[in-house]
Amino acid sequence: MLVVLGTLAQKDMGLFAAQNRYFSAWITWFWYVPMPGGRLTLIIILINLSFFFFNKSIWKIKKLGIVILHLGGILLFVGGGLTAIFSSEGNMVIEEGAQSNHVEDYHLMELAVINTSAAGFDEFTIFDQPLLKRNQLLRHANLNFEIEILNYLENCEPARRTSPAGIQYKGMLKNFMLNELKPEKEDNWNRPGLIYQINNTGTNADGMYGIFLGQPIAQTISINDKDFTIILRRQRTYLPFSIKLLDFKKILHPGTDIPKSFSSEINLIENGAVRKILIQMNEPLRHKGYTFFQSSFIESPDGETTVLAAVKNYGRLFPYISSIIMSIGLLFHLSQKLPDLFKKSREKIGS
Amino acid sequence: MVILQSCGQDTHIRTYRIAKPKPPDTAPRDEAPETNSAGFSWKKPESWIPSSGSSMRLASFDIPYSEGSGDLSVIQLGGTGGGIEANVNRWRRQLNLEPQSLSKIEKEMIEKRGGLGVYNIIRIINEEMDSAFLCAILTAGNQTLFVKLSANPPGIREIEADFILFCSSLKISI
Repeated sequence: MLVVLGTLAQKDMGLFAAQNRYFSAWITWFWYVPMPGGRLTLIIILINLSFFFFNKSIWKIKKLGIVILHLGGILLFVGGGLTAIFSSEGNMVIEEGAQSNHVEDYHLMELAVINTSAAGFDEFTIFDQPLLKRNQLLRHANLNFEIEILNYLENCEPARRTSPAGIQYKGMLKNFMLNELKPEKEDNWNRPGLIYQINNTGTNADGMYGIFLGQPIAQTISINDKDFTIILRRQRTYLPFSIKLLDFKKILHPGTDIPKSFSSEINLIENGAVRKILIQMNEPLRHKGYTFFQSSFIESPDGETTVLAAVKNYGRLFPYISSIIMSIGLLFHLSQKLPDLFKKSREKIGS
Repeated sequence: MVILQSCGQDTHIRTYRIAKPKPPDTAPRDEAPETNSAGFSWKKPESWIPSSGSSMRLASFDIPYSEGSGDLSVIQLGGTGGGIEANVNRWRRQLNLEPQSLSKIEKEMIEKRGGLGVYNIIRIINEEMDSAFLCAILTAGNQTLFVKLSANPPGIREIEADFILFCSSLKISI
């Protein structure tokens, strides 16, 4: 029922929202009725499956195939759990000639507050998506001020003010407002925004600010001789290695604009060592638990840019291992049952 | 299987340091024109900071102004590089603006004269997005140079005079 409803819901609410509501949720609501969501359902099935091993009658050699089969099933669920909890997906966008050492999440945002006052480095304080909600107070020892989130907008658009703003408005909000929009069906199409307040700094930086994803000019503030830049961006995961795009190649089907194949020639740079690698369709790069797939590209007079989908999945091998275990269990069970089957068959022919 | 996950604020705060990009060369730059390997030279204001950009860029600068910093790129393409209409409308789409006909684009273009002869500049502004481009298209023999400045609308107005000086200084170096 959950699978049918979740699949049908994807049409109207989009894949990401349906996945969150039906499959990744512990509880899902059908009108006012709470029902177990995908996670809770799978845990109940897993517990149910695990209780099979408390049955004393299964610990016999003739039931060994069934025991192995159940073990494989449990491993499949464990792998699913690891994927659900620890896996991450994002993309790495690199212009030709440039290099990158971070992956940007497809869905999650982060508020980066960057202290740019030091001479040799920038100090980043990152507040993750779970903290970006209404009435949340953001504070950290690195910052000599507090940020109070007044509103988090899942999708918004900046609109020029038609009348002068009050003195409490600072930065972009002096000239613009952030209008909340209905979330798009595809989560990637949303432009999240944030309205926040900076208080009690004793400077003229106190006030109400706004920021949105992709804002062309970042918000900068100075508080007590410290300069900060504030950016709302897709959540970044920094990698222990870098990828430099040497060359992006696209081959079209003859006489059309339809790509036949595209590939990225890259340098994988790690601890000063450089390794040249070709990433192409169906030939991803696997390194340090990450898999980089050739996902897309951007082409313009500003240059060619590759888009690599980056996936980290600790449960990646579990489906393969559990399938092998379940196959062994089934074969074992079949081999034990075969003599009986042949015997019954012979008796049937004899009679 | 029960997994307990902490919900404290600290688990969702990360800190790290990143070395600042290499400081720009502060030697006076406007005395001798810069030349690049593609055979073009230019003069730029001292306040413009060379930045690292795509290898497609002949030159790339961060341009500070009173409210922030703009990004300027110089791209060289063979032939007409797709033409005025296609390129201007591509820039317009980047600012969520509707495409325009060639005749309308040509009306909005401002003609200037510099080291590469007559060239055109165009302002593309989306006040709602608080974003703007100031672009120049320069013909150099059988090649076309695209100079694009990205900043907010007040920034574009502030930098425009320097932008024109820069574009006018572009020439083929001998």
